[in-house]
Amino acid sequence: MTPSPELTAADRGANSEREWFEDLRLERHAFTIRRTRREGKIAYEWSGEITDPPPLRESGKLDRAQCLEIYRFLLMNRIMEQQLENLYKQGQVVGGVYFGLGQEGNSVASAYALDAADWMAPMIRNQGSLLVRGFAPRDVMMQYMAKAGSPTGGRDGTSHYGDLGPRRMISPISMLGDLIPVMGGICMGERLQGRNVAAMTWIGDGGQSTGVFHEAVNFAAVQNLGLVLVVENNLWAYSTPLNEQAKVADLALRARGYGIPAVMVDGTDVLQVYDACRGAVERAHGGGGPTLIESKLMRMKGHAIHDAAAYVPPDLLEFWRRRDPILRFEGYLQQKSWLTAEAKQRLAAEVEQFMLAERAAAEASPMPDGNTALSGVYCEPGCHAVQPRFEAAAPALEAANGSANLTAVEGDAPHLR
Amino acid sequence: MLLTYVDAIRQALAEEMRRDPAVFLLGEDIGIYGGAFKATAGLVDEFGPLRVVDTPLAESAIVGAAIGAAYTGMRPVVEMQFMDFIACCFNQITNFAAKSHYRWGAPVPMVIRGPVGGGVHGGPFHSQNPEMYFAHTPGLKVVEPATARDAYGLLKSAIRDNNPVLFLEHKYLYRRVKDEIAEDGPATPLGLAAVARPGRDLSVITYGAMVHLAVETAAALAAEGIDAEVLDLRTLAPLDRAGIVATAKKTNKVLILHEDTRTGGIAGEITAILQEEAFDDLDAPILRLTSADTPVPFSPPLEAAFLPSAEGLKAALRRLARY
Repeated sequence: MTPSPELTAADRGANSEREWFEDLRLERHAFTIRRTRREGKIAYEWSGEITDPPPLRESGKLDRAQCLEIYRFLLMNRIMEQQLENLYKQGQVVGGVYFGLGQEGNSVASAYALDAADWMAPMIRNQGSLLVRGFAPRDVMMQYMAKAGSPTGGRDGTSHYGDLGPRRMISPISMLGDLIPVMGGICMGERLQGRNVAAMTWIGDGGQSTGVFHEAVNFAAVQNLGLVLVVENNLWAYSTPLNEQAKVADLALRARGYGIPAVMVDGTDVLQVYDACRGAVERAHGGGGPTLIESKLMRMKGHAIHDAAAYVPPDLLEFWRRRDPILRFEGYLQQKSWLTAEAKQRLAAEVEQFMLAERAAAEASPMPDGNTALSGVYCEPGCHAVQPRFEAAAPALEAANGSANLTAVEGDAPHLR
Repeated sequence: MLLTYVDAIRQALAEEMRRDPAVFLLGEDIGIYGGAFKATAGLVDEFGPLRVVDTPLAESAIVGAAIGAAYTGMRPVVEMQFMDFIACCFNQITNFAAKSHYRWGAPVPMVIRGPVGGGVHGGPFHSQNPEMYFAHTPGLKVVEPATARDAYGLLKSAIRDNNPVLFLEHKYLYRRVKDEIAEDGPATPLGLAAVARPGRDLSVITYGAMVHLAVETAAALAAEGIDAEVLDLRTLAPLDRAGIVATAKKTNKVLILHEDTRTGGIAGEITAILQEEAFDDLDAPILRLTSADTPVPFSPPLEAAFLPSAEGLKAALRRLARY
């Protein structure tokens, strides 16, 4: 048993890699993507070996019931996105559709690591996290269809909605990176009211290039805020491959520059993602500050539905097709005898049925009345209450500003070196 | 107590923090140092470093964090060391905060306050008037007090407001104007202009430091028989359309004066409002006197040429009076 990276004030800036960095992966993906000229045209070329993945890394944190719940969310995520694609093809979607194909395991398992009191803000490919957080598939569908019944009443689309109430979800905006300081601020506001919470959001290999990413991670580090930042390295920012986005070999290495712990995981291994995120969430609860988690995976569709992703080398897709997060997790459940073929079929049929009903409900919602566009620019008196909830006995707030005692987090597995 | 403009700001901050534990401050050098202009001097001693937060030099992170804290029910007040630097967090303000309530019903009770304006030889990056970038953005409120009393009262309202408010403090006024202010005095409502000087013959519509130029110039012109009214807008978004129309209907002649540059300044918008709502009451063309359409120059003679002047204002008002 090796403890998770655990920073004490004295360790800040320590030189030993082990103290700030943990790699949960069971395999290192060895391939390269290069820009070449082929028959007069610039193209990307893949070189590597198409191998099969290892079995999943045993968690020890998740029991059978939790694993089956995660599996259900994974199926919902994938089947919901299939329905979104159908709706688009039938002309029922306004604008485009974004998919998280190949990233469902990461979206679901990370969000599953949050407690109800924690906060979350999804990125466009984390539609699975919305389901984990308790939003109905019909909400996502109505957002894409710009319906009156959508959470934003047609004022915005996609996963651009949230809930300051029980689901504690912040609506993203399209500008990448801007969610990160906001989630840090969530922790700051909660801390001032006497609570240490985790605030999770995601960023991509592209979004990590923004200036606000660096400002926000540094800010969270200095202020010791419980930010859980999952860097989804899906190798492509629209059509730009990773090697044209960043020079570092692993995006997790950037955590070193801010003096915060980092964990690297295989983003197609649900159990690794959960363990890393749960560790980060518990660190946040203990006042231990932010964690950066790099999740390595692959965007298996284009940037959005209009993008055929012809620039992606086919062998790269084949490599990752063998690492489908849902199939890998199914294999794990079957090997544990937690999911029989019969139960799997039953569950899939049940989710299919549920999704059709959700779709019917979404379709039944009318389009919004145009006049509703004109109100609600300002929060007028009596429209929304702004109500902090101060705890009677606040934890040692004075200690929090960069000098909190950091709580040890249970580690559960050896590093892969 | 007799307070300068900057002391009135500090007084309002302290009283609001005492009244409401949800109010907290964040910004660069606002703690032990007390802020570049000392607007927060001593507050860290009373409220502690968790409610008077010295932040890294990172405007997007500061404003982003304020937005997040506001979502949890807090009322953050951000200090921009100079409002010129607000360009660094434009996206957080215009895309995150401003659209939040409209898009998904999530109010952002946040104030961003700090010094604007020229006349102090600050040069191109410490003298700007950025109000119109934000007055143009639906969902934001933009406030600029001209007096110590309004700085105090309007800041209280801004902090209690459930919307993102940009509170622009004219640095030329920080220590040049004073008012008698009662402790725990009333908040001044946002969105209402005030008549800074009543008059019969013509109206000068203005705000910020230019209110003082207008009032002084009006006093000088009284000897020539020109009785000018000065309307202090106080809030630029939302604009007090009724107050603007009322002064035009009273005097029938309007000049709009602002320190902001000319093209796209609020004068254009006010002119359009008057054309729409008071055309029949106007006896003269609407005039504007503004800064030139250049960056704010550094050297004193250059800056004097850039800014509206007393002489320029006198000439324009005499011309207006002749109609």
